[in-house]
Amino acid sequence: MEGYGAKSESMELKLKELFKEVQLNYDSITLTNFIDETVSAIRDAIDTIPEDIKVGADIAPGFVRDVGADKVEFTFKKPNSIEIGGSYSTRSIAKPCTDVDVFVRMPKECFHEKDYLNHRYHAKRCLYLCVIKKYLSTSAGIKSIEWSTFLNEARKPVLVVYPVQELGELPGFFVRLIPTAPSMFNTLKLNLTRNNVRSLNQEKSAPQATPKYNGSILEDMFLEENMEFVRNVFFGWKELAEALILIKVWARHRGFIYAHDCFNGFLFSAVMSYLATDSGGKRINKSMKAMQIFRVTLDFIATSKLWEKGIPLQPQAQRSMLKEERMQYQQSFSILLFDSSGHHNLAFRITRSGFLELQEEATLTLNCINKCSDGGFEEAFMTKVDLPAKYDHHIRMNLKGNKEVSSSGFCLDNECWRMYEEKVRCLLDQGLGDRAKFIRVNWCRSSSHWNVEEGFSKFASDLLLVGILASSPETSFRLVDVGPSADKKDEAVKYRNFWGEKAELRRFKDGTIAESTLWECEQWERHVIIKRITEYVLLRHLHLSKENIVHAADQLDFSLFHGAGDPISFSGGLFVAFATLSKQLRSLKDIPLMVSSVQPLDSAFRFTSVFPPEPHPLADVKIVGRKSQKVTSTCVQPLEVMIQARHLILEGSGNWPMDDVAVEKTKSAFLLKIGESLQKSCGVACTASEEDVDVLMSGYAFRLKILHERGLGMLKKQVGNNRIKRITSKDKELFIRGQHSSMINGLQGRYPIYGPVVRLAKRWIASHLFSTSLGDEAVELLVAHLFLKPLPFYAPGSRITGFLRFLRLLSNFDWTFSPMIIDINSDLTEKDEKEITEKFLLSRKSFEGNVQHVEPAMYLATAYDTASEAWTLASPNTVELRRIMAYSRSSADFLTNLILQDQIESHGWERLFRTPLNNYDAIILLHNDKLPFPRRLLFRSEINQGRHIAQGDSSKEFHPCILSGDKCRGSEEMKNKLMVGFDPLRCFLEDLKREFPNKFKLWYDSLGGDTIGLTWVKPSSKKRAREEESEDIQNPIDVLRSAGELGKGFMRSIYLLKSPRHNS
Amino acid sequence: MDRQAYGGIFRLYNGIPIVAFNIIVLEDEEIEVIITKAICDGLRIAATLGFRSLCILSVSEFAVKVLNGIHKQPWACIPDMRDAKEIITNMDSCLIANKKREGNKPAEYISTKMDIQDKIHKSIKAKIKKKKNKLSLRMKGKKEKDNEAGGDLGIQHGSEGEDDPNNIKENMSIKAKEGKKKNKLSEKRRKNENEHKAGAEKLGSEGEDGSIDLKCSEVDNSEKPRKAGKREKSLSSMKSSESIEKISDGENEVYHVSSGDDDSSKGMKKWVMDYYQSRPGLTILHERIDEFIVAHEEQEEQAKIEREARVAEGGWTVVAHHKGRKKSTDAESGIAVGSVSQASVLDKMAKKKHKDVGLDFYRFQKREAQRTEVMMLQVKFEQHKKRIQQLRAARKFKPY
Repeated sequence: MEGYGAKSESMELKLKELFKEVQLNYDSITLTNFIDETVSAIRDAIDTIPEDIKVGADIAPGFVRDVGADKVEFTFKKPNSIEIGGSYSTRSIAKPCTDVDVFVRMPKECFHEKDYLNHRYHAKRCLYLCVIKKYLSTSAGIKSIEWSTFLNEARKPVLVVYPVQELGELPGFFVRLIPTAPSMFNTLKLNLTRNNVRSLNQEKSAPQATPKYNGSILEDMFLEENMEFVRNVFFGWKELAEALILIKVWARHRGFIYAHDCFNGFLFSAVMSYLATDSGGKRINKSMKAMQIFRVTLDFIATSKLWEKGIPLQPQAQRSMLKEERMQYQQSFSILLFDSSGHHNLAFRITRSGFLELQEEATLTLNCINKCSDGGFEEAFMTKVDLPAKYDHHIRMNLKGNKEVSSSGFCLDNECWRMYEEKVRCLLDQGLGDRAKFIRVNWCRSSSHWNVEEGFSKFASDLLLVGILASSPETSFRLVDVGPSADKKDEAVKYRNFWGEKAELRRFKDGTIAESTLWECEQWERHVIIKRITEYVLLRHLHLSKENIVHAADQLDFSLFHGAGDPISFSGGLFVAFATLSKQLRSLKDIPLMVSSVQPLDSAFRFTSVFPPEPHPLADVKIVGRKSQKVTSTCVQPLEVMIQARHLILEGSGNWPMDDVAVEKTKSAFLLKIGESLQKSCGVACTASEEDVDVLMSGYAFRLKILHERGLGMLKKQVGNNRIKRITSKDKELFIRGQHSSMINGLQGRYPIYGPVVRLAKRWIASHLFSTSLGDEAVELLVAHLFLKPLPFYAPGSRITGFLRFLRLLSNFDWTFSPMIIDINSDLTEKDEKEITEKFLLSRKSFEGNVQHVEPAMYLATAYDTASEAWTLASPNTVELRRIMAYSRSSADFLTNLILQDQIESHGWERLFRTPLNNYDAIILLHNDKLPFPRRLLFRSEINQGRHIAQGDSSKEFHPCILSGDKCRGSEEMKNKLMVGFDPLRCFLEDLKREFPNKFKLWYDSLGGDTIGLTWVKPSSKKRAREEESEDIQNPIDVLRSAGELGKGFMRSIYLLKSPRHNS
Repeated sequence: MDRQAYGGIFRLYNGIPIVAFNIIVLEDEEIEVIITKAICDGLRIAATLGFRSLCILSVSEFAVKVLNGIHKQPWACIPDMRDAKEIITNMDSCLIANKKREGNKPAEYISTKMDIQDKIHKSIKAKIKKKKNKLSLRMKGKKEKDNEAGGDLGIQHGSEGEDDPNNIKENMSIKAKEGKKKNKLSEKRRKNENEHKAGAEKLGSEGEDGSIDLKCSEVDNSEKPRKAGKREKSLSSMKSSESIEKISDGENEVYHVSSGDDDSSKGMKKWVMDYYQSRPGLTILHERIDEFIVAHEEQEEQAKIEREARVAEGGWTVVAHHKGRKKSTDAESGIAVGSVSQASVLDKMAKKKHKDVGLDFYRFQKREAQRTEVMMLQVKFEQHKKRIQQLRAARKFKPY
């Protein structure tokens, strides 16, 4: 109970702050005066328009032509009234959209009673606005006038008027002039069964009903009346208006809800009015707070069954409706929300998929409110749930100049763009079947500078966007789709028509013979299947060229490739080799050790290694003899394997050494014994240094480590005594790595997409030279968080979406004030979480005065490490973290644009991994042919700024490849050439750090980049330290030169961009 | 006629020479043996100077192996080796590596042209007085006595210094030494500047590879800040705090770093070498570990004896908690020492039932508890408020 109270209190406070940001101050006299003046200025300007102007199609020929209207001449009369409507009148404007709607009531005299036919009303409506625009633009108080559309309906343009005067509170303020036509036509004529667009009729068939067209006119007729109804409910009800603002903020974060085929602010306010009045059972009452109203409304949207039956704003209108009539409504529209008159369905534009989307989002948000730590505030009101982050697959179609879209005219019952949307959606739906959970197609109008005179052709230049939510990978990565069986002739023909030559008749294992489509591909490229299907279907059924369809699915794969393919395909062999190794280890007889378990530690074993190693021909006993044809690499990446073993004699005797060094020495002695024994019994090669023992087996190098449980006990006591003195013994480290490894492995099994997302994330981190700041394990945990706590989304279903969310998480998470709790197997209890929070607060408390330097800056708590000591204790520090956050923010924005917008340049995707080199004080470039794995380099770095300080020759001592000339020699010699775990970059960095401690900070790419970034370390502020330092100050050029000396034969060139600043 | 001498040069880790020495060889020995002796002499000097960390480079692979204990020592240098081993073990770190001949011209110069032994010892003494450095120094000792080369140079030298060879040589080496000294001893700096430069350049000019050039330019740079009256530098930091505007012309050139294939002290070659050296084979590793364990056990034994001695002295029996197996009797004295592990005590304590009266027994206790709870809530509320202020400061409420 206490927790709940605190939660809701904190929510109240947060909402208060939120309102401060988005609410308009209606009590401010300057503001109200300003708006009143602007509107009255417009009113005055319209008043000056002379009466009896003859208006004809010539004012906006393009519009009249495209809308397909015939008789449009009329005589202009002044509007009956000009009134402020919309959200300003209900005091529910949510910044930053601060426009004010003004209803311009068109006089009846301008229209004939039969003008509801054939878009005559729409044409006249537009021409009426043209006249107003013409006169307004000469008015002094008005800066500019633009055309826009009413809820994205092209045949219903509105005027957007920008006043000359501006108010600081309302940047970019404008007034929308919306024409209305109360009681213009007989509502019976606009009944949904009537046909009012004659061109739609075919000869000899019954006239086709035009419900959407009729709705479009009815909407204008009842706009004011409905607004009045809403206004009455909202009048003087502060909480209701606040709740509406909350809903607007919520919906705006979900751009696809605030779209033409889904909800808008007015519809929300109508639903809330319904819930607040008798007809809705007064589900919202005056005692409720804004957040409660918000919840009730979402709950109603998400769960109510009334949507299909029809929701009446006025109960009496409901009763009068006949059953048949309602059936007709249900057939014509997917959602029914009857307006106060009972004649018009307010939700006539809403499509089924749009509404499903809304319901989904409402459900998810309610989930957030119930489950998330801060009552879902962050998730509901602060997180952007846009198309790139929400959907797993994104298709962007460029339909510019495509004749097919408007082949039968722009506007019939529905507009051609809406019909095309539906067509695309149906195609994809049929093509993907159950691979997709949900498909949303949206052809949004960017509506920049549209001119009605030009007609509708300009709208085609906007992009059509498709979002696909993939179902589970087992389904969506399926290779074969089974169609109807051959016996069902009709269906089979249909299937063949749809798929064309892709459909084939197949006999399946269970004996059935059925039509089917096969999407054959390698295991590692299965994520591309959906893309292949969508492209095939769209190209087959729509007249499009391939470059006009961009499906984001595999565009980032290049960063994971090694050579031509994804090295993840080698994982299978790796597991076989590991199984053999662990079997052999267990069966070793001539050592005094009992191997109880063998556990892999390397990330390659959990599919999260960016470059899982390829089997090396020289490291394999069976292959060494053969002459291999390929040029192979010199270096072999060692894979760490942890052995849990008991010593048969030492264990019980108490003679096991007690201090750290001796333990480590004893362990390496055992490992050497194991190595020798393996060498003898199985003939595998073994090479060792004082620290590491590597076993070469089936093409892989396994680095053996022994975990000694005693070591863990020793450590715990030390930690218990003194928290500050954090001693991480080798055993503790091994233990934690083992825990991490098995947890991540489990997670990886649950979410097959997890692996690729981690790999992309690691690659990104490394290619921006953050290898030193953010460890691999930390990245794995961050990505795990995306999958474990996906709200307000579902767990990512594609690598690009996952990667985007990773970038956003990194940049948006509140690292300073909250711990990130990653509960992989959900084994943290409430008590544990409380403990974590306390530990976190403790870690922050000591730095209370100085928020800039907290430690660990990134608090990652897991079941095996509640104090965040394992991975992020030392790095990233606050400065590094800030840098990472800035980079991830810009990368996330860039990736969003890559998905949503047509690229300006073709190499856009690569730029995500190309790091700007001008953010460092100095740059060291390396010889790429001396990197241990040159093929892992993404781009050769070049720099054309700063001062060229030094240049180095490349060494002949080391070649990353074993040259073919060497092949002729004996296999023993070849084997000696192999270098296990040799990494010149690491050696260079170590030398640099040793020679220049505290001189500069190094940024590098551990995955095979050819760049090292340097930033000077600022002299510490303490006086004594500064004194010492000042004696140590060196000319930066000399420093860099001697740094270059250290990298002899490896360093290509050094550039100085910025000299360090001294305050001496 | 043949002048036989060996010598060495000490450099800072950044390559700046600080001490050099040479010694005339009287006995007739194998070249490898003499090199080994030279290294041993170098080590002695290093020990006198109190250097804590060394990297020794020598042309002779044999000598390196001897010193590293891979080869058996020749009998001629057994006494030297005994000293050397002791010095090495006392060092914080000592690396002995092999280096090809070409890159070591300065040392050759020393061994052949510079031969005033006692002066060197003087300067060494002076240094010892001033020296406070405990920083890691790298001794770049180049010892050599090559009959052929020595002969050649000897002839050269003979023809050059016919009139007064000793004088000329003395002058030169004093200059060089003074120059070096000046780097550490700040007194006569400005006076001796020219000399210093000359000395440094003399040394530098002997170098052929890039690394020597570097050293030269670094010495040059170090002059400027001193002219500007900057703080005196200690021996270890011959570095300049010069700002970038004052860069001399030479620095605008792109500095060229060689591939280093002939220099095993730095760069790729060193790494590759290190890699191979760190993997000498399973047997040797085994031996090393065994040695360590033996030494370690001895040490433990020693500590134990000391402990016992202490116990005997004071007449007290120190009862310590033994990790590992529980012992009921002390092995040495036979006294029963019951020891219970801390964990088991805690465990037992936890198992004990709480028989205390609960804290809510009296009414006033309940009331107090309520009051504190309300207080807690208030504190929490304040915390939230504070938190939100922080968030607001971070503009966390701007939804878009």
